[in-house]
Amino acid sequence: MLVIEAADIWKRFRIPHHRRPSILEQIAGVLSVLEGERYTYEEFWALKAVDFKLERGESLGIIGPNGSGKSTLLKLMARIMKPDRGTIETDGRIVPILELGIGFQGDLTVKENALVYGVIMGIPRAQMKKRIESILDFAELARFQDAKLKNLSSGMQVRLAFSIAVETEADIFLVDEALAVGDMEFQKRCLARFRQFKNEGKSIVLVSHDVSLVKAFCESTLYLLNGEMRDFGPSDRVTDTYVKDVESGAQPLASQQVSQHM
Amino acid sequence: MRARWLQTRTQQYVDVVLVLALKDFKIRYRNSALGFLWSLLNPLAYMAILTLVFSLLLRVSIPHYAAWLLMGLLVWRFFQIGTAQSLGTIVGNPSLVGKVYVPRYLIVLSNNLANLLGAALEFIALLPLIVLLGVNLTALALFMPVILILEFCLIVALSLALSALNLKYRDFYQLWDIALQLGFFLSPIIYDPSLIPARYQFVYFLNPVTRLIDSTRDIFLLNHLPTLTDVVVILSAVGVLLATGSLIFRHFEPGFAEEI
Repeated sequence: MLVIEAADIWKRFRIPHHRRPSILEQIAGVLSVLEGERYTYEEFWALKAVDFKLERGESLGIIGPNGSGKSTLLKLMARIMKPDRGTIETDGRIVPILELGIGFQGDLTVKENALVYGVIMGIPRAQMKKRIESILDFAELARFQDAKLKNLSSGMQVRLAFSIAVETEADIFLVDEALAVGDMEFQKRCLARFRQFKNEGKSIVLVSHDVSLVKAFCESTLYLLNGEMRDFGPSDRVTDTYVKDVESGAQPLASQQVSQHM
Repeated sequence: MRARWLQTRTQQYVDVVLVLALKDFKIRYRNSALGFLWSLLNPLAYMAILTLVFSLLLRVSIPHYAAWLLMGLLVWRFFQIGTAQSLGTIVGNPSLVGKVYVPRYLIVLSNNLANLLGAALEFIALLPLIVLLGVNLTALALFMPVILILEFCLIVALSLALSALNLKYRDFYQLWDIALQLGFFLSPIIYDPSLIPARYQFVYFLNPVTRLIDSTRDIFLLNHLPTLTDVVVILSAVGVLLATGSLIFRHFEPGFAEEI
């Protein structure tokens, strides 16, 4: 059974030549159009004809150089953005862990922040109140629960966020290099937690530059290059392609194909 | 099955609005030592200054002028803070908009809710002062929550448009600031609306804020319920603005994550 099915998805970003983010500039812009100066922009396809499928209980790795569209693809899966063409069908609850500590407020206490974050990540408020102790224990922050969040180190804040994120009831976790934070001990426990999810039949989509992690963790891997699918298939093969590309310098550097529109 | 899914979904949205509103509320009052007291001092200082200027220097002859002013100021303050803060709800929350999916109108709504709570508490805290200023409190005061909720609906309607437009045009808040300054004098906060020439009266009273201020004074100072016309005008304004506001919000929402 499929949990994610992406069919021919395209995502375009428009970068206006003269950005008109303000009302005043907008008015000036309308005037200049009247005078014959046209509204121009650059079009940039962040994703082109991307197709992939993910089976229930399996995990997908997404690799590729910076700016190749990995994060954009995660955002499309999470419904944060919409594709311009094509469809992404998903089955089950998706929790994006793209950034840890969404909406954290330094002036509120650790406990208060945990409650807000948990609810945003989709844990019911009533349950969050019950589970907060065990979450703080997992993050090893129980003794700081009434301290203001700003007094915690950034590593501790990330630990808190991560401990909450993994408490969410999800069928698919979207993880964007979030694992690269925290000390080694914590990273090890995070991985153990993800393994547990896998055993429970949950899916993980992992964006990472760590080829060995992807290989160890994901059945299949998608290799993106300049928004196109360079390769998709079993992780061993795809990561090899990636490593070979990097070593031979065959990657066309991130010289994005940008089309001009006048 | 579908009904159950809908119920969990609704429950989740309610939870999100509640925790975000509570967060905004706490931040608003926790950042300063005097916290909530400041939010009372502000309208009180205004009232004192305006009373001094208008009843002593300009000799305005409105009975209970200080209390009369305070009603106008409190209603206006809710409107002003509510709409002004909404401008930053989308722009000021890049990670809530761009890193996770919660329906974006919930972010706006929760800020409005925090301000409703603030306005209600201000009214309650200042009730003793209103009595002290010689006003007879009657059971009509129980109608005040209705007025506040009507005003809340008006603020929600405007906030949807304002928050979306302020993301698209980053200087939109400047425009709204000017509009608010104009609005202050287009509403009967410091002067008696009967001063408006008769031929402009009809247009003048189409302003829902005017109706809200008038209704508040009706129940506290004139001892009668707001008229049906008041309620109809306010509800119509809310209806029109809510329809326009949601259209604007829905038009811009798909681009929020890219623009932010």
